[in-house]
Amino acid sequence: MEDELFEQRTDLSKLSNAVEQIKATLAKIIVGQHESIDLLIAGILADGHILIEGVPGVAKTLTAKLIARSIKSQYSRIQFTPDLMPSDILGTSVFNPKTTEFEFKHGPVFGNIILIDEINRAPAKTQSALFEVMEERQVTIDGQTYKMQEPFTVLATQNPVEHEGTYRLPEAQLDRFIFKIEVKYPSLDEEITILTQQHQHKTAEQLLDIQPVLSGEDIVAIRQQVLGLHVEEKLLVYVAKLIHESRNNKSLYLGGSPRASLAIVNAAKAIAAIRGRDFVTPDDIIYVAAPVLRHRIMLTPDKEMEGASPDDIIAQLIQKIEVPR
Amino acid sequence: MLRHLSFFLIFSLGLLTNCFAAKNTPHPRQKAVLKSDSSTIVVRNFDKAALKSYSSQNDFKYDEVESGPSLWTRFWHWFWHLFDFSKLKNYKTGGWLALFLTFLEYLAIGVCVAALVFFIIKLIGVDMANIFRRKASPVILPYTETLENIHEIDFDEQIEKAVSLHNYRLAVRLLYLKCLKQLSEAALIQWQPEKSNNAYINELNNADQRMVFKLLTRQFEYVWYGEFIIDGAIFTNINGSFQNFKILPA
Repeated sequence: MEDELFEQRTDLSKLSNAVEQIKATLAKIIVGQHESIDLLIAGILADGHILIEGVPGVAKTLTAKLIARSIKSQYSRIQFTPDLMPSDILGTSVFNPKTTEFEFKHGPVFGNIILIDEINRAPAKTQSALFEVMEERQVTIDGQTYKMQEPFTVLATQNPVEHEGTYRLPEAQLDRFIFKIEVKYPSLDEEITILTQQHQHKTAEQLLDIQPVLSGEDIVAIRQQVLGLHVEEKLLVYVAKLIHESRNNKSLYLGGSPRASLAIVNAAKAIAAIRGRDFVTPDDIIYVAAPVLRHRIMLTPDKEMEGASPDDIIAQLIQKIEVPR
Repeated sequence: MLRHLSFFLIFSLGLLTNCFAAKNTPHPRQKAVLKSDSSTIVVRNFDKAALKSYSSQNDFKYDEVESGPSLWTRFWHWFWHLFDFSKLKNYKTGGWLALFLTFLEYLAIGVCVAALVFFIIKLIGVDMANIFRRKASPVILPYTETLENIHEIDFDEQIEKAVSLHNYRLAVRLLYLKCLKQLSEAALIQWQPEKSNNAYINELNNADQRMVFKLLTRQFEYVWYGEFIIDGAIFTNINGSFQNFKILPA
């Protein structure tokens, strides 16, 4: 009905096809987790880095790996460990006796899709090495700046902070992730399907069959399209009010940053594009608010003692702001 | 040889030292000489003024003055006296009556305690119905009016005005708000400005009604949030969809 009344201003057909193909490919291997997959795709389209959190064994790494494999680009994986050094990630200058000069040896961070597994196993010193590359898409070593190739996306997995041998990521780093996606346990039916697939040896076969759906260039082009989607002015005010409320809320020790406001708008655009629209609605903003804010806000100690979660407080924030209509 | 000589010298020196020490020490059996003290003794008395001054200070009062029961203690004496059935029990009554009176006594105390607990619970605003449930009942947020109240707008007049000015975008918005008002009046949705359009769609129980309202919502969103330019013909079409929407009472 909308298509009959309103002509599409932006051609989202390529994007829609690609998203459907990625979803279909992932659905063959990953059982359930539809919301997580939607958010993963939205995060990549919104030119953001994504943090995936979940207890061990819920296919966090597998999902991230499959997403990375569905894009034809340079993929690298870094396993974070407690003894990992910044130079192990970024690279280091090595002396070449033939030329009698120091040469920069690129680290694994130089790629398009970087999967950082168990990111919170490394201490703060190593985490800090990611600050510049995640925000400015460049690495500066020995006074020399090395630009990253586009697209550049970090997909990081982590166990919940309460687990043994994990460190809480610094706020400055958490703020650089557009989403924190929480991967939950599968339902009973989903678990039965996982077991059945595994029993029939389907998963291994399908893993080999995965073909890239989009190239790196396609991703860059789609990102430009997504960032150009229409957002009504009142919705920008709505986002600003939401973030402002998070800074003044009594339940919160730390509210959302201006980077969080930008992340909400960009993520809402990506969700709108996935849903086939070239404009953002308040529902898109509400949908992305929790994954954008949950890792950025900090609860006051009394709220934590009460057992409140960041998602509870975000829901309260949303309920306080009038939806523009 | 020299070594033996040095041992001999050290031994001799030690022996001589002991001998001299023994000569200088007084003999324990020697008689002590007593000396009489003939100096004049001057008797000193306490300063009476100072004593009087000290005795008037609270820091030097060591006698515990027995005071009567405090007001709080007296209140509780009075309170428990109200339930004192001992006087009745002292009458030469039978065993059954005494038992009944004792029962009455405990009943009265129980009622008082229950009333006190009830009063405290009411005072702190605890919901008795959900006190043992894990999740609290949803809190209805206070209805806040900011820019406009949909229950006070004369929609027909405003829509007519917007159409006459060819402001079809505004007219579609007013049509949607009117629809929300009608749904709210029919108790099909609970109007709150903080709710999203999808929340209202999900509140509708009738599947057909929900499907049509979803379509109307999409039309509104395309016009209002998408800022799609609409002309008179498209508006007539959209207006028709809104007019055909049947709001069935709950």
